[in-house]
Formats: sequence, C-alpha cells, structure tokens
Amino acid sequence: MIPMKLVVSGPVGAGKTTFVQTLSETPVVSTEADASEDIGKATTTVAFDFGTLVLDGTELHLYGTPGQDRFDFMWDVLCEGALGLVLLVAGNRPQDFLHARHILEFITSRNPVPFVVGVTRQDLNDVWTPQDIASYFDLPAEQVIGLQATAPDSARQVLIRLLEAQLTPVPRLDPNSQLDPNSQLDKETA
Amino acid sequence: MTAPASKQQQLQATLQSLRTSLPELRGALVATTDGLPIAQTFSDTTDSNRVAAMAATALGLGKRINDTLGTGDLTEMSVSGVDGQVYVYATGRKGVLAVVTPTGMNLGLLHMEARDAARTVALVL
Repeated sequence: MIPMKLVVSGPVGAGKTTFVQTLSETPVVSTEADASEDIGKATTTVAFDFGTLVLDGTELHLYGTPGQDRFDFMWDVLCEGALGLVLLVAGNRPQDFLHARHILEFITSRNPVPFVVGVTRQDLNDVWTPQDIASYFDLPAEQVIGLQATAPDSARQVLIRLLEAQLTPVPRLDPNSQLDPNSQLDKETA
Repeated sequence: MTAPASKQQQLQATLQSLRTSLPELRGALVATTDGLPIAQTFSDTTDSNRVAAMAATALGLGKRINDTLGTGDLTEMSVSGVDGQVYVYATGRKGVLAVVTPTGMNLGLLHMEARDAARTVALVL
C-alpha cells in the first residue's frame, strides 16, 4: 500500500514540529537549528520534520515545513506529490494570521491540495476559536478545527478531518479504469 | 565581546581572502544556521538571502543524514550541476559557509582554502 503524503505548514511558532512529534509513531527526523532572531523559542526548523503514523489502516507520512518565508522553496519541495495540507496557526498570535493566509495561498495556488486549518493553543484562555479563524480566512466552519498540538487525540482529529475532506470531493475511482494510474499498481499487488 | 560590525568586517575579510586565493569562485557566503545571511561576496546577481536559507537547509539536512547513517559530525556537503558546484561547510555551531564554484575547479585547493576559511568563520562567530 502506498503511504499518503501530508504536509504540515504554517507560520513560525504555530506548532508544526510539535504536531509532527505528537503524532508520529516512528522517531521524527527533524532539522532544528538555533534561532538567531527573536522568534519566541530557541530553535527553528530549517529543512523539514518527518514522521509517520497509521490512521484507520492508512499509512500517513507527515512532512512539517519551516515557517519563515526565506524557506519558501522548501514549501514547494515538500508539497510535491502531497495529498493534503494541514495549515497550523497559533490561536494566541493574531499577528501571524495574515502570514498564515499568505502561506496557504502560496501553497494551494501552486499545488491545489485539500487542506484543513488547525488553530493551535486551544488549551490557553485568551485564544481565537476555530469559528473566529474560519470567518477570518473566509472558509467553511468544518474546514477549521481547534487543537492542542501536544495532545495526541486532539492532533489526530485534525488528520481525520483532513482525510474526510479529502475523500468527500473526489469520486471513487473505478478500479478497471484505464485512466487510473494506480489501477496498474493495484493489479500488480493483487 | 567584539561589536557586531567588526565581526562582519572580519567575516567579509575572510571571504575576500578566499576569493583572492581562488579567483575563479562565483561567490561565497556566510549565514547563520537558521538561514540569515551575514556576509557575502557574489560577483553576479545571486540572491544571497535565498542562498543563505538554502545553505542552512542543506546543512540541517546533511547533519540529519550523518546522524542517521552514523557517519559522524558534518564537515561539508556538496551539490553539483553541469555548470558548477556548491560546497556547504559547517562552521562551528552557529554558522554555515557556502562556496559556489564553476565546473573544473581544483577541488583539492578549494577544500584546503575553504576549510581554513570555515575554521576562521567559526572562531569569529
């Protein structure tokens, strides 16, 4: 079975690395470097975080991107062949919302993948709710979900929502269809 | 502690002396390990911000590859194309040195000079 590639993106400090670490069932490949700017934390991702998990029998490969614009070439690299995007934004950092939109537009304009927006830090008191973010991003409420990136159940809900979103609009492919590039693989593995 | 401006001058001087030793270089750059440019000498319109970020990405990934394969601390990594190469050297904990060369460079000399420069950069940073 072919693993499903999902990308986790969003501004610096949204919780991308934490999200991948929380969900991964294998040791996470992470590329943290000491931060030389004041970004509210000691280290930052410079290449990607990579983790894997199995959800409902599907093997998922998670790629977390760097957050700073100067690494936008990595957004392109990591989104190649991706089947879904989780855009994380910290609910207590409204100053980052515009940047989050920019990242979302950058990625989806080049590679129109199904996506959900995850609003992190929902364990805090003074935090924007998913409903707030949905109206800010002008998205349907079901496409925005609140989470706590450190909590496995909460993080898993985001992936479940993404997989649901992903399955809904795409019609089931006819396994006998010649146009389906996977059908050949299915036959070989059958 | 040295003032930031003078650190920059030292780094710039290190890059200049590297270019003097190897005049065929297309350019060299020092960046932080999180991808911000500190000093650069490019003879063309190369976007140093972008090269700085890419050098940091390459270094970060190279370190992880070494970790995974048990090949020890990263010293350098390279990317080659038909018209040139980029060598990315680790310079201490904080920095990275990227050297862009044309094809057909004397690699023995390049590594000798660039590793020297990398040591100097590590001391300055």
